Amino acid sequence: MSEFLEFQDVSKHYGDVKAVDHVSLTVKQGEFFSLLGPSGCGKTTLLRILAGFEQPDTGRVLLGGEDVTDLPPYERKVNTIFQSYALFPHLSVWDNIAFGLKVAKRPKKEIKEEVAKMLTLIQMEDQAWKKPDQISGGQKQRVAIARALVNKPRVLLLDEPLAALDLKLRQRMLIELDLIHDEVGITFLYVTHDQGEAMSLSDRIAVMKLGKIEQLGTPEEIYEAPRSSFVAAFIGDTNFFDGTVAEPLEKDSVLNGFLAAAVDKDYSRLKIEDFPDLECFNDKQIKEGERVFLSIRPEKMRISRERPATTPHLNIIAGTVEDVIYLGSQTKYWVRTGDYRISIIRQHSRFLLDEKPIRWHEEVWISWHADDGFMLEKYSAQDENLIQLPPEEVGENPPSLNGADLAGSATAQ
Amino acid sequence: MKAQRRVRVFEWLVTLPSLVWLLVLFLIPTVLVFAITFKPATPYGGIGSGWTLETLRTLGNPNYPAIVWRTIWLSVVVTALCIVLATPMGYYMARISPRRRQMVLLLVILPFWTSFLVRIFAWKVLLHPEGLLKQLLVFLHLCTPDTSLLYNTFAVLLVMVYTELPFAILPIYAASEKFDFRLIEAAKDLGATSFRAFRAVFLPGIRVGLLTAFLMVFIPSLGSYVIPDIVGGPTSEMIGNKIAQRTFVDRNLPHAAGLSALLTLAVLIPMITITTLRRKESPKDALREEGV
Amino acid sequence: MKPSRVPMIVTWAVILFFYLPIVILVANSFNSSRFGGSWESTSLKWYIRLMQEDDIWHALQNTLFIALSATLVSMVLGTSAAFALHRFAGSRLQKLHYSIIYTPLVLPEILMGLSMLLFFVALKVQLGLVTIAIAHVTFCLSYVAMTVLARLQDFDFAIVEAAQDLGAGWWTTVWRVLLPMLAPGILAGGLLAFTLSIDDFVISFFVAGPGSTTLPIKIYSMIKYGAPPLINALSTILLVITFTCVIVSQYLTQQEPKAAK
Repeated sequence: MSEFLEFQDVSKHYGDVKAVDHVSLTVKQGEFFSLLGPSGCGKTTLLRILAGFEQPDTGRVLLGGEDVTDLPPYERKVNTIFQSYALFPHLSVWDNIAFGLKVAKRPKKEIKEEVAKMLTLIQMEDQAWKKPDQISGGQKQRVAIARALVNKPRVLLLDEPLAALDLKLRQRMLIELDLIHDEVGITFLYVTHDQGEAMSLSDRIAVMKLGKIEQLGTPEEIYEAPRSSFVAAFIGDTNFFDGTVAEPLEKDSVLNGFLAAAVDKDYSRLKIEDFPDLECFNDKQIKEGERVFLSIRPEKMRISRERPATTPHLNIIAGTVEDVIYLGSQTKYWVRTGDYRISIIRQHSRFLLDEKPIRWHEEVWISWHADDGFMLEKYSAQDENLIQLPPEEVGENPPSLNGADLAGSATAQ
Repeated sequence: MKAQRRVRVFEWLVTLPSLVWLLVLFLIPTVLVFAITFKPATPYGGIGSGWTLETLRTLGNPNYPAIVWRTIWLSVVVTALCIVLATPMGYYMARISPRRRQMVLLLVILPFWTSFLVRIFAWKVLLHPEGLLKQLLVFLHLCTPDTSLLYNTFAVLLVMVYTELPFAILPIYAASEKFDFRLIEAAKDLGATSFRAFRAVFLPGIRVGLLTAFLMVFIPSLGSYVIPDIVGGPTSEMIGNKIAQRTFVDRNLPHAAGLSALLTLAVLIPMITITTLRRKESPKDALREEGV
Repeated sequence: MKPSRVPMIVTWAVILFFYLPIVILVANSFNSSRFGGSWESTSLKWYIRLMQEDDIWHALQNTLFIALSATLVSMVLGTSAAFALHRFAGSRLQKLHYSIIYTPLVLPEILMGLSMLLFFVALKVQLGLVTIAIAHVTFCLSYVAMTVLARLQDFDFAIVEAAQDLGAGWWTTVWRVLLPMLAPGILAGGLLAFTLSIDDFVISFFVAGPGSTTLPIKIYSMIKYGAPPLINALSTILLVITFTCVIVSQYLTQQEPKAAK
């Protein structure tokens, strides 16, 4: 895989708003690459710059080594799936798919063959002469994909392609998109605000906020090792702890899985108000006395009535259950301890009715392994709003997630 | 930057044809009306050279205040009647099944598409001294054989309502169709009577439609000319009739221009008021939304 | 609670009010009596008399010439105006553009008629068919622009981008996507312009010259100066034509599939 698509220091502003702020990014050939972020983060602008619908204020866009920054949209070898599909309502499915080839003045015979191939790919051979308003939402989606792919673009751009579909269809189309990507093998650039879509489809994800790339990596990296509180809270659910490094602990050799090789691990004792004795894996070599923010995913925590047995590097704290939401396969708990409301997810792998469930107001123990906490490089209190907490009283204003608020927090820092 | 300039050029390219046409053939002539008010008339019906205040002086003619007053009150009454009739119609049309609605809408639109003169003439036939309506009224002893149904202010009012009503129905219906009728249920659920719900919830909900209807009926009414000319008499003349008289009978164009200038000012005041009111109702977001 | 019947009663009463004079007019056209008070006998004599009026046929020719030319020109100007108003909405130029297109719609016709007469007189232009056509374009333009603009409001501009994305340049986009999609709106605007032009009396009357009598001007003089039974017959013919046109166009627009959402 080579570096195939490249954004070099690209910026774009509308009035005073910086939609894209000096973004550099490379995408590999054949990759399924996602731009993920809340609305107003600049992800769509970046995609539109690549498609040629917007001109960047600064920077270049390279496609297969060729500078395409100044080319009009119709001279770029990229095609787009629009959020609204933008199918031509006056043309049949067949004519929609053939549009690009006809414009390119390809021979009639070739057009017929290529369109037929596409119709087979999307399994709509029998619907070729229907107009867009006579087919279902999922079928429109497939026609939009076929209409783009038939031109054999070097990159397929997808702008929130599933946003207009209902949940069931969205899940189905998610799998179809994945299958199509495997089958045609071209590069996909996928824009979404839905972390679930990005996580399940992508080879790599760039998480964007306020026109900048916040973090770039594989879905696993982004979920397990978020660099900032924004990434941690935007992708999945998490708990933040604010404290300082109290003392480094002595190096500890642990056996790393079946390789049986000893790996040195650094642990630090942390000083966090209310919790005197917490430990965390300190891979960033943060020194004594420095401030740290810790992110721990709810599903990495255990909740129990009995105090768990003390083992090395196991953090144990006590609290009171404030809210319980039973969701069938799992239960979410919110536990009050000091100033913190900690959320915990418990997966039910065993038959639940055999045990006595934990209820409101019960005193419980929470525990997690020091390896499961993750120290963040960047923290902004605003990002706490991204975490979904149950309200503590009726009429509490929900925290809002829009770009304007995020912008406010950024200037406040 | 180069692309931006190309977009600007393109904007001018598609704007200029209509803009220039209307500047030359609509805006300049309208301004000309004001200018010619201050020109002398020639005995042969043309426009003389030089400048004069003669027209302004003749506009002080004691007949005019009565005509201006009649023009205004007739227009107000016509507008009020049209809106009073059109509002329940809009409500009804928005609530019936789409099939029925299509039919009622067609019935309302049909007269709107038929010749304006033919519709006025139809009333002239109906109201004629030897016409059906008159004979029916005499038969029912509702009027004497010498009562005239035609050539009076009542006839002008009736025919104006008749011709202007579709212009009130269409905007009010359009607004009613977008109205969320569950709000009426909510109002009734909270204890409001049907009439109270209609007044306190429905009417504010179709405000924009009502304002448009007002504009679409009131302003053309101010300029009525053909209706008072055909079904009205000397006691029901409006400003429009005077403008036509000065143009075609006396051939005093500066005088006609003076009256027109007066009417233009009278029209612009309600028009600007309503447009600003309406703009406040629905401020258009000019900024293009980014990446949502 | 039972819904109030008042709105329904008002609606049907108004519809009755709309059609009562029309029905009587049509009936009278078959009455050989001069006024509708008494029914002498059913006859087609007024229709036969109408056919012999050469003036009417000449006026009809004038009207059609004016209507066709005004419709064509206003369709071109109005469509381009609507496109500019939609695509560049919010720019200062378009705000001006919008006001100048919107104002003729509400301004009383008599003001437009007189102002254009003064304009032509000041420029010493010979009044006739051409001045009427020019005046008609001026008000029809606004109607076409508004009709097309309404169509553009639910037009998804991503479709234009989609065409460019698929390799279509500007001309291809306009010819293969934009115009075919806007065709119903442009035709509807053209139909409206045509009807308004055929029907216009006030403006035509002001800017008409010798020999440029249009059908409405002819009807007006017939109403004013005699021959009512002839107008009954003529009006009936006009009513039949417009009713047929409106019903057919309603039927056609209903057949047409609704825009994809």
